[in-house]
Amino acid sequence: MKKEDTVKLISAEGMEFVIDKEAAMVSQTIRNMLTSPGGFAEAEHGEVTFPEISAVILEKICQYFYWSLQYSRGKETEFHIEPELTLELMMAANYLHT
Amino acid sequence: MPVLRSRDIPPAPPKPPKSRSNVDPPATPTQGREQPLPAARLSSPHSLPPYPKTAGSVSGSAPSSLRRSLRLSSKGSSNAGDQVGLPEVEKCIESRNGDVSKKQKLSVDVDGGFESGGSRVLSLRSGEKVIKGSPLGDGDDGGGGGCDEVVESNKKGKSIVESEYIEKSKRNNEKESVDRKRRFSREEKGKGKLVVESDLESKHENLVGGSVPDVELPAEEVKSPDEQPSKRSNGRTNGGRMERFRDTARRNASRFAYFNAQEEEEEEDNNNLSMEAEREIPSVEEQIEEKVVEDWPGPFSTAMKIIRDRAANLNVRQGSSSSGQAPSVQIKWVPQKGKGKDGSKRLPPSLLDLSLRVLVDNADAIVSLDHVPDAMRHKLCRMLCDRRQMNTNLLDLLLSGSPTEIRLKECSWLTEDKFTECFEKCDTSNLTVLQLDYCGQCLADYNIPSTLARSPTSLLALTTLSLTGAYRLSDAGLSVLVSSAPALRSVNLSQCSYLTHGAIEILASSLASVLLELFIDDCQSIDAMLMLPSLKKLEHLEVLSVAGLESVTDKFIKEFISARGAGIKELILSGCGKLTDSSLKIIAETCSILRALDIGNIPKLTDNSFGYLASGCRSLESLKLCRNAFSDDAIAAFLEMSGEILKELALNNVGKVGHNTALSLARRSKNLVSLDLSWCRNLTDEAMGLIVDSCLSLRVLKLFGCTQITDVFLYGHSNANVEIIGLKLSPLLVHIKGPVESPLQYSSVSSLI
Repeated sequence: MKKEDTVKLISAEGMEFVIDKEAAMVSQTIRNMLTSPGGFAEAEHGEVTFPEISAVILEKICQYFYWSLQYSRGKETEFHIEPELTLELMMAANYLHT
Repeated sequence: MPVLRSRDIPPAPPKPPKSRSNVDPPATPTQGREQPLPAARLSSPHSLPPYPKTAGSVSGSAPSSLRRSLRLSSKGSSNAGDQVGLPEVEKCIESRNGDVSKKQKLSVDVDGGFESGGSRVLSLRSGEKVIKGSPLGDGDDGGGGGCDEVVESNKKGKSIVESEYIEKSKRNNEKESVDRKRRFSREEKGKGKLVVESDLESKHENLVGGSVPDVELPAEEVKSPDEQPSKRSNGRTNGGRMERFRDTARRNASRFAYFNAQEEEEEEDNNNLSMEAEREIPSVEEQIEEKVVEDWPGPFSTAMKIIRDRAANLNVRQGSSSSGQAPSVQIKWVPQKGKGKDGSKRLPPSLLDLSLRVLVDNADAIVSLDHVPDAMRHKLCRMLCDRRQMNTNLLDLLLSGSPTEIRLKECSWLTEDKFTECFEKCDTSNLTVLQLDYCGQCLADYNIPSTLARSPTSLLALTTLSLTGAYRLSDAGLSVLVSSAPALRSVNLSQCSYLTHGAIEILASSLASVLLELFIDDCQSIDAMLMLPSLKKLEHLEVLSVAGLESVTDKFIKEFISARGAGIKELILSGCGKLTDSSLKIIAETCSILRALDIGNIPKLTDNSFGYLASGCRSLESLKLCRNAFSDDAIAAFLEMSGEILKELALNNVGKVGHNTALSLARRSKNLVSLDLSWCRNLTDEAMGLIVDSCLSLRVLKLFGCTQITDVFLYGHSNANVEIIGLKLSPLLVHIKGPVESPLQYSSVSSLI
């Protein structure tokens, strides 16, 4: 993975997740951050911090990104969510607009 | 010998010459030509009452004169007096203008020739105006075969008619052929044969207003083949004759449009097909080929004309010669396979939906809803209520802390005890939105003081209150509630059948200056007229819903709208069956900032309503119809005028919706987001495809009951964003998304503080 194709998502605890830009763009919020012409720091450095999202949830979110890309390419599987994560996951998903 | 239009041709015309000589008006300098009567006179299969007075004209023209006299007398012509029939007509006209006599003579002659053309005779009966043709110099082709002069028996505009008549006849002298051909055209909203019509249109251009058809036979011959089939199709019954009368009337109507400057005749009832009904659209100047009886402001009538001409022109191009068949506007749309939306490809569900589903499945395991934003809470509650899995535990969770918004779309599971238990200990001081729909079982007068209205300040922050279905709530209970909630902006008391007009008085007394929205659907004990004084006191009312209240009448609307209409933004009147077009007129004139209107299930509304709406409510974004009797043309014309800003349109079960509407939608509705065409069975796959591919903002299309739509449309349209609901057997609730729930629909709460 080249540097230019990736973004880094940083959770509340500081854990960093490096994923493809294409996967991150599934989230409308991240897409706006990275593509808007405002000269945002996120766009420049390719890093986005989420001080309110924990690592577990952020990990699940990244899994969802890749699952979503797979789904739209035709491979339709099921995305399993552990019940204990759902509430926080829902709120994070709402924030990320995904 | 002209080919007669009528099928009925008696063997021998009864002494035509006699009639002619008899009808010679004294002052009429004849043009030296007598209209030769056709050899075969249209025998009237219809018996004519004997006309005792016209001794002279008894013979050949007796029938025609008889008929004419009947018509004239029915018109109540002042000149009718004793004389009936042709002489009378001449008199009338003569009295107007000396010149006319000349024409009269011609007409008289023509009348003589009327017998030949059954249609002419018949048209007399129908009260259509007899345009005095100018057979001057026309080839004597054997009697006025095609004289389509119909004396208009327009009671209202008799004088105008007469003067027009005169002028027309003057003008007609040069344009006989054109006139004649025009006469033969049958155009009725695209019906009939317009092939000939198109030829004539070019000739018509130099004609301003109408032109009197002349009696030239050649033209008639040209026409007659066209005419005959249609004539034949009309049948010989009286009904068929009426049909022809109307058609002729419609044809001739345009001739009189020229005289709008002198007087404008307007008729209220568009559907009045009585024979003496010939009115003119004020603004129309060019030829109109159909009967125009609508009372519309200028732009709308022009739009209507455009719609109708569009259909007419298309028919002409197609060369359709249908008889009695309503030709449909052709829609060209080719499904683009492989482009755009691929039927099998689906978007991945959003993480939000996925997690919400899992959450709802495991709702019992939810421990706390702290920090969950209100929007999430509402989504959760909505799904739980839909699945009927809502319970008191969750309600406790919702009410814990100091909630700001509570929305329960369905509280029928909640018992009175549990309700009291939960709300007794709830801190409602920060509550801004409280929605307890279908709370009849749990809410009564006696438990309000202990739960919701514990103190006069318990609901200080409440702006939106919805207690639908509270059938045990009386005026007194409402009074207690309202006294604790002085800041209410939106109140929904639908289906609270115990409330009377006293409830509105209570609202008006304490909330007169703040209440913005009031919903009292189906509150059957509230009498509209009794609540009117209180209703008028609500100074800033923006939204009013009185759906289903039978006591809502035109009078109510008139008085209320006159008082408060200027500030109304949304009006829901569905099911108020007593309303008529006059209410719409007032609404259109007064409610200039109206944004949403629901007039479903009001059967008495006619196309005139659309005329008013198009000219009046320029900000209309949402229009909902259901089971209305509007015509395709009216809706299409309305869309042409106001379709640009429309965002939501429901044409549920408006059966006449057809291709004109589809075309107008495709051309105008660029901002349309939601469209409901359920039960509109006249729309084909092509029409749907055109709509969907052209309305690029469209997101939701409802097609319940449209069994005529096939996969050709479903998989052939290229709009990837639209969601089509109602065609396949899929769970309904999947598609029904909740409305965007904000506390107030047209204002933001902060703006009120």
